[in-house]
Amino acid sequence: MAHAPVMSTSKYVMIWVWLAGLMLLGVALSELPIAPRTIFLLVLGLSTVKAMLVAAYYMHLRFDDRLLTMVALSPVPLVMVLVIALLLDKPHFLH
Amino acid sequence: MAPLVYCVSMTHPPLPAGPTVGRLGLESGKLGMWLFLVSEVMFFAGLLSAYIVVRAAHPAWPGSDGHLSVPVGTINTLILICSSMTMALAVGAADRQDARQLRLFLAATITLGLVFLGVKAFEYQAKFHHGIGPHTNIFWSCYFVLTGVHGLHVLIGALANGWVLARTRGDRFWATQRHLVELSGLYWHFVDIVWIFLFPMLYLI
Repeated sequence: MAHAPVMSTSKYVMIWVWLAGLMLLGVALSELPIAPRTIFLLVLGLSTVKAMLVAAYYMHLRFDDRLLTMVALSPVPLVMVLVIALLLDKPHFLH
Repeated sequence: MAPLVYCVSMTHPPLPAGPTVGRLGLESGKLGMWLFLVSEVMFFAGLLSAYIVVRAAHPAWPGSDGHLSVPVGTINTLILICSSMTMALAVGAADRQDARQLRLFLAATITLGLVFLGVKAFEYQAKFHHGIGPHTNIFWSCYFVLTGVHGLHVLIGALANGWVLARTRGDRFWATQRHLVELSGLYWHFVDIVWIFLFPMLYLI
Protein backbone atom coordinates (compact mmCIF):
# COMPACT_ATOMS: atom_id res chain seq x y z
CA MET A 1 0.00 0.00 0.00
CA ALA A 2 2.78 2.34 0.85
CA HIS A 3 4.09 2.08 -2.70
CA ALA A 4 0.69 2.00 -4.36
CA PRO A 5 0.73 4.66 -7.02
CA VAL A 6 -2.26 6.91 -7.13
CA MET A 7 -3.65 7.69 -10.54
CA SER A 8 -5.84 10.72 -10.86
CA THR A 9 -9.61 10.25 -10.66
CA SER A 10 -9.92 11.27 -14.31
CA LYS A 11 -7.57 8.46 -15.35
CA TYR A 12 -9.59 5.90 -13.41
CA VAL A 13 -12.73 7.21 -15.10
CA MET A 14 -10.99 7.08 -18.50
CA ILE A 15 -10.13 3.41 -17.95
CA TRP A 16 -13.80 2.81 -17.10
CA VAL A 17 -14.84 4.53 -20.35
CA TRP A 18 -12.51 2.22 -22.28
CA LEU A 19 -13.84 -0.84 -20.45
CA ALA A 20 -17.46 0.14 -21.07
CA GLY A 21 -16.75 1.06 -24.69
CA LEU A 22 -14.99 -2.23 -25.45
CA MET A 23 -17.79 -4.13 -23.74
CA LEU A 24 -20.43 -2.36 -25.85
CA LEU A 25 -18.31 -2.99 -28.97
CA GLY A 26 -18.36 -6.70 -28.11
CA VAL A 27 -22.16 -6.61 -27.75
CA ALA A 28 -22.48 -4.82 -31.12
CA LEU A 29 -20.12 -7.28 -32.84
CA SER A 30 -22.12 -10.21 -31.54
CA GLU A 31 -25.18 -8.85 -33.37
CA LEU A 32 -23.42 -8.65 -36.74
CA PRO A 33 -23.85 -11.39 -39.36
CA ILE A 34 -20.33 -12.75 -38.92
CA ALA A 35 -19.24 -16.38 -38.70
CA PRO A 36 -19.70 -17.60 -35.09
CA ARG A 37 -16.07 -18.66 -34.80
CA THR A 38 -14.89 -15.19 -35.89
CA ILE A 39 -17.20 -13.55 -33.35
CA PHE A 40 -15.92 -15.97 -30.72
CA LEU A 41 -12.33 -14.91 -31.37
CA LEU A 42 -13.17 -11.19 -31.63
CA VAL A 43 -15.25 -11.06 -28.46
CA LEU A 44 -12.79 -13.10 -26.41
CA GLY A 45 -9.98 -10.92 -27.78
CA LEU A 46 -11.84 -7.84 -26.53
CA SER A 47 -12.33 -9.54 -23.16
CA THR A 48 -8.59 -10.19 -22.95
CA VAL A 49 -7.86 -6.51 -23.65
CA LYS A 50 -10.36 -5.46 -20.95
CA ALA A 51 -8.83 -7.91 -18.46
CA MET A 52 -5.39 -6.49 -19.20
CA LEU A 53 -6.66 -2.94 -18.64
CA VAL A 54 -8.13 -3.91 -15.26
CA ALA A 55 -4.99 -5.79 -14.21
CA ALA A 56 -2.60 -3.07 -15.41
CA TYR A 57 -4.37 0.02 -14.09
CA TYR A 58 -6.98 -0.93 -11.47
CA MET A 59 -4.81 -3.69 -9.97
CA HIS A 60 -1.70 -1.50 -10.40
CA LEU A 61 0.43 -4.17 -12.10
CA ARG A 62 1.73 -1.51 -14.48
CA PHE A 63 3.21 0.37 -11.53
CA ASP A 64 4.11 -2.49 -9.17
CA ASP A 65 7.23 -4.62 -9.08
CA ARG A 66 7.58 -6.68 -12.28
CA LEU A 67 7.84 -9.80 -10.15
CA LEU A 68 4.15 -9.40 -9.32
CA THR A 69 3.36 -9.24 -13.04
CA MET A 70 5.25 -12.49 -13.52
CA VAL A 71 3.28 -14.06 -10.67
CA ALA A 72 0.03 -12.79 -12.21
CA LEU A 73 0.94 -14.16 -15.64
CA SER A 74 2.22 -17.50 -14.34
CA PRO A 75 -1.11 -19.32 -14.84
CA VAL A 76 -1.43 -18.17 -18.48
CA PRO A 77 0.83 -20.91 -19.95
CA LEU A 78 -0.91 -23.47 -17.76
CA VAL A 79 -4.32 -22.29 -18.95
CA MET A 80 -3.14 -22.43 -22.58
CA VAL A 81 -1.90 -25.99 -22.11
CA LEU A 82 -5.20 -26.91 -20.44
CA VAL A 83 -7.36 -25.41 -23.21
CA ILE A 84 -5.26 -26.78 -26.10
CA ALA A 85 -5.05 -30.24 -24.53
CA LEU A 86 -8.81 -30.33 -24.07
CA LEU A 87 -9.55 -28.97 -27.55
CA LEU A 88 -7.23 -31.52 -29.17
CA ASP A 89 -10.02 -33.94 -28.40
CA LYS A 90 -12.28 -31.80 -30.61
CA PRO A 91 -9.97 -30.89 -33.54
CA HIS A 92 -12.86 -29.60 -35.67
CA PHE A 93 -13.22 -26.71 -33.22
CA LEU A 94 -9.72 -25.51 -34.10
CA HIS A 95 -10.36 -25.33 -37.85
CA MET B 1 1.93 6.40 4.02
CA ALA B 2 2.04 3.44 6.38
CA PRO B 3 5.57 2.61 7.52
CA LEU B 4 7.11 -0.55 6.13
CA VAL B 5 8.61 -3.15 8.44
CA TYR B 6 11.43 -5.34 7.19
CA CYS B 7 11.67 -8.83 8.69
CA VAL B 8 15.23 -9.09 9.98
CA SER B 9 14.85 -11.52 12.84
CA MET B 10 13.62 -15.11 12.90
CA THR B 11 12.78 -15.00 16.60
CA HIS B 12 10.19 -12.84 18.26
CA PRO B 13 9.81 -10.27 15.52
CA PRO B 14 8.22 -7.02 16.59
CA LEU B 15 4.55 -6.54 15.87
CA PRO B 16 4.25 -5.14 12.37
CA ALA B 17 3.44 -1.49 12.15
CA GLY B 18 2.35 -1.76 8.52
CA PRO B 19 2.59 -4.09 5.56
CA THR B 20 5.54 -6.44 5.98
CA VAL B 21 8.07 -6.71 3.19
CA GLY B 22 9.81 -10.00 2.53
CA ARG B 23 13.24 -10.70 1.09
CA LEU B 24 11.94 -10.35 -2.45
CA GLY B 25 11.11 -6.72 -1.71
CA LEU B 26 7.39 -7.33 -2.11
CA GLU B 27 4.69 -6.69 0.45
CA SER B 28 3.85 -10.11 1.88
CA GLY B 29 0.12 -9.52 1.90
CA LYS B 30 0.05 -8.39 -1.71
CA LEU B 31 2.21 -11.30 -2.86
CA GLY B 32 0.00 -13.70 -0.91
CA MET B 33 -3.15 -12.26 -2.47
CA TRP B 34 -1.69 -12.55 -5.97
CA LEU B 35 -0.70 -16.17 -5.33
CA PHE B 36 -4.25 -16.84 -4.14
CA LEU B 37 -5.63 -15.17 -7.27
CA VAL B 38 -3.38 -17.38 -9.41
CA SER B 39 -5.06 -20.42 -7.87
CA GLU B 40 -8.43 -18.80 -8.53
CA VAL B 41 -7.48 -18.26 -12.18
CA MET B 42 -6.81 -21.99 -12.50
CA PHE B 43 -10.14 -22.75 -10.81
CA PHE B 44 -12.12 -20.65 -13.27
CA ALA B 45 -9.93 -21.75 -16.20
CA GLY B 46 -10.96 -25.32 -15.46
CA LEU B 47 -14.64 -24.38 -15.42
CA LEU B 48 -14.47 -22.26 -18.58
CA SER B 49 -12.38 -24.86 -20.42
CA ALA B 50 -14.94 -27.50 -19.54
CA TYR B 51 -17.68 -25.20 -20.84
CA ILE B 52 -15.86 -24.60 -24.16
CA VAL B 53 -15.12 -28.29 -24.67
CA VAL B 54 -18.65 -29.39 -23.78
CA ARG B 55 -20.01 -26.78 -26.15
CA ALA B 56 -17.64 -27.73 -28.96
CA ALA B 57 -18.47 -31.40 -28.56
CA HIS B 58 -22.23 -30.98 -28.45
CA PRO B 59 -23.89 -31.85 -31.78
CA ALA B 60 -26.70 -29.30 -31.30
CA TRP B 61 -25.82 -26.75 -28.63
CA PRO B 62 -29.14 -25.67 -27.10
CA GLY B 63 -28.03 -22.19 -26.01
CA SER B 64 -30.24 -19.89 -24.02
CA ASP B 65 -33.02 -20.11 -26.62
CA GLY B 66 -33.91 -16.46 -26.09
CA HIS B 67 -34.27 -16.76 -22.32
CA LEU B 68 -31.21 -14.63 -21.54
CA SER B 69 -31.62 -10.87 -21.91
CA VAL B 70 -28.53 -9.27 -23.46
CA PRO B 71 -29.59 -5.74 -22.35
CA VAL B 72 -29.96 -6.91 -18.73
CA GLY B 73 -26.60 -8.70 -18.89
CA THR B 74 -25.01 -5.62 -20.46
CA ILE B 75 -26.33 -3.32 -17.74
CA ASN B 76 -25.18 -5.73 -15.06
CA THR B 77 -21.72 -5.82 -16.64
CA LEU B 78 -21.60 -2.01 -16.63
CA ILE B 79 -22.55 -2.09 -12.94
CA LEU B 80 -19.68 -4.45 -12.13
CA ILE B 81 -17.21 -2.40 -14.18
CA CYS B 82 -18.41 0.70 -12.28
CA SER B 83 -17.73 -1.11 -9.01
CA SER B 84 -14.18 -1.83 -10.14
CA MET B 85 -13.66 1.88 -10.74
CA THR B 86 -15.03 2.84 -7.31
CA MET B 87 -12.82 0.15 -5.75
CA ALA B 88 -9.76 1.60 -7.47
CA LEU B 89 -10.79 5.06 -6.24
CA ALA B 90 -11.14 3.63 -2.71
CA VAL B 91 -7.55 2.35 -2.86
CA GLY B 92 -6.43 5.81 -3.95
CA ALA B 93 -8.39 7.43 -1.11
CA ALA B 94 -6.81 5.06 1.44
CA ASP B 95 -3.39 5.99 0.11
CA ARG B 96 -4.21 9.66 0.57
CA GLN B 97 -5.59 8.90 4.05
CA ASP B 98 -8.89 10.44 3.02
CA ALA B 99 -11.31 8.67 5.36
CA ARG B 100 -14.45 10.25 3.99
CA GLN B 101 -13.75 9.34 0.38
CA LEU B 102 -12.51 5.87 1.33
CA ARG B 103 -15.78 5.09 3.10
CA LEU B 104 -17.79 6.63 0.28
CA PHE B 105 -16.07 4.60 -2.45
CA LEU B 106 -16.06 1.39 -0.41
CA ALA B 107 -19.78 1.78 0.30
CA ALA B 108 -20.39 2.47 -3.40
CA THR B 109 -18.43 -0.64 -4.36
CA ILE B 110 -20.39 -2.80 -1.93
CA THR B 111 -23.69 -1.31 -3.10
CA LEU B 112 -22.87 -1.87 -6.78
CA GLY B 113 -21.82 -5.45 -5.98
CA LEU B 114 -25.10 -6.08 -4.20
CA VAL B 115 -27.04 -4.51 -7.09
CA PHE B 116 -25.21 -6.89 -9.44
CA LEU B 117 -26.27 -9.82 -7.24
CA GLY B 118 -29.82 -8.45 -7.08
CA VAL B 119 -30.06 -8.34 -10.88
CA LYS B 120 -28.66 -11.88 -11.00
CA ALA B 121 -31.25 -13.01 -8.47
CA PHE B 122 -33.94 -11.36 -10.61
CA GLU B 123 -32.66 -13.26 -13.64
CA TYR B 124 -32.59 -16.54 -11.69
CA GLN B 125 -36.14 -15.96 -10.45
CA ALA B 126 -37.35 -15.30 -14.02
CA LYS B 127 -35.73 -18.53 -15.20
CA PHE B 128 -37.27 -20.58 -12.39
CA HIS B 129 -40.63 -18.93 -13.11
CA HIS B 130 -40.40 -20.25 -16.69
CA GLY B 131 -39.50 -23.71 -15.44
CA ILE B 132 -35.84 -23.33 -16.38
CA GLY B 133 -33.25 -24.72 -13.99
CA PRO B 134 -29.88 -26.48 -13.97
CA HIS B 135 -31.70 -29.68 -14.96
CA THR B 136 -33.19 -28.19 -18.17
CA ASN B 137 -30.26 -28.89 -20.49
CA ILE B 138 -26.46 -28.70 -20.67
CA PHE B 139 -26.45 -24.95 -21.39
CA TRP B 140 -28.47 -24.07 -18.33
CA SER B 141 -26.47 -26.48 -16.22
CA CYS B 142 -23.30 -24.62 -17.25
CA TYR B 143 -25.02 -21.23 -16.84
CA PHE B 144 -26.11 -21.83 -13.27
CA VAL B 145 -22.78 -23.36 -12.23
CA LEU B 146 -20.66 -20.60 -13.78
CA THR B 147 -22.82 -17.66 -12.68
CA GLY B 148 -23.49 -19.27 -9.28
CA VAL B 149 -19.81 -19.72 -8.49
CA HIS B 150 -19.07 -16.21 -9.73
CA GLY B 151 -21.94 -14.78 -7.68
CA LEU B 152 -20.53 -16.48 -4.61
CA HIS B 153 -17.22 -14.75 -5.28
CA VAL B 154 -19.00 -11.38 -5.62
CA LEU B 155 -20.71 -11.99 -2.28
CA ILE B 156 -17.40 -12.88 -0.60
CA GLY B 157 -15.82 -9.75 -2.11
CA ALA B 158 -18.68 -7.57 -0.84
CA LEU B 159 -18.34 -9.10 2.64
CA ALA B 160 -14.58 -8.51 2.58
CA ASN B 161 -15.11 -4.88 1.57
CA GLY B 162 -17.73 -4.53 4.31
CA TRP B 163 -15.25 -5.89 6.85
CA VAL B 164 -12.62 -3.40 5.66
CA LEU B 165 -15.20 -0.59 5.76
CA ALA B 166 -16.05 -1.44 9.37
CA ARG B 167 -12.36 -1.34 10.31
CA THR B 168 -11.93 2.18 8.93
CA ARG B 169 -13.52 3.48 12.12
CA GLY B 170 -10.55 2.43 14.23
CA ASP B 171 -7.28 4.32 14.67
CA ARG B 172 -5.35 1.09 14.21
CA PHE B 173 -6.60 0.84 10.64
CA TRP B 174 -5.16 4.22 9.71
CA ALA B 175 -1.94 3.50 11.56
CA THR B 176 -1.14 0.03 10.27
CA GLN B 177 -3.89 -1.57 8.20
CA ARG B 178 -4.61 0.66 5.22
CA HIS B 179 -3.08 -1.96 2.93
CA LEU B 180 -6.16 -4.13 3.58
CA VAL B 181 -8.06 -1.90 1.13
CA GLU B 182 -5.65 -2.78 -1.64
CA LEU B 183 -5.79 -6.51 -0.83
CA SER B 184 -9.58 -6.50 -0.82
CA GLY B 185 -9.47 -4.45 -4.02
CA LEU B 186 -7.25 -6.99 -5.80
CA TYR B 187 -9.82 -9.68 -5.07
CA TRP B 188 -12.67 -7.45 -6.23
CA HIS B 189 -10.96 -6.62 -9.53
CA PHE B 190 -10.31 -10.32 -10.11
CA VAL B 191 -14.03 -11.02 -9.69
CA ASP B 192 -14.67 -8.29 -12.28
CA ILE B 193 -12.18 -9.89 -14.71
CA VAL B 194 -13.93 -13.26 -14.37
CA TRP B 195 -17.24 -11.66 -15.32
CA ILE B 196 -15.58 -9.89 -18.27
CA PHE B 197 -15.05 -13.38 -19.74
CA LEU B 198 -18.26 -14.99 -18.47
CA PHE B 199 -20.63 -12.37 -19.88
CA PRO B 200 -19.75 -12.76 -23.58
CA MET B 201 -19.40 -16.54 -23.35
CA LEU B 202 -22.86 -16.99 -21.84
CA TYR B 203 -24.82 -14.04 -23.27
CA LEU B 204 -23.20 -13.10 -26.58
CA ILE B 205 -21.53 -16.06 -28.25
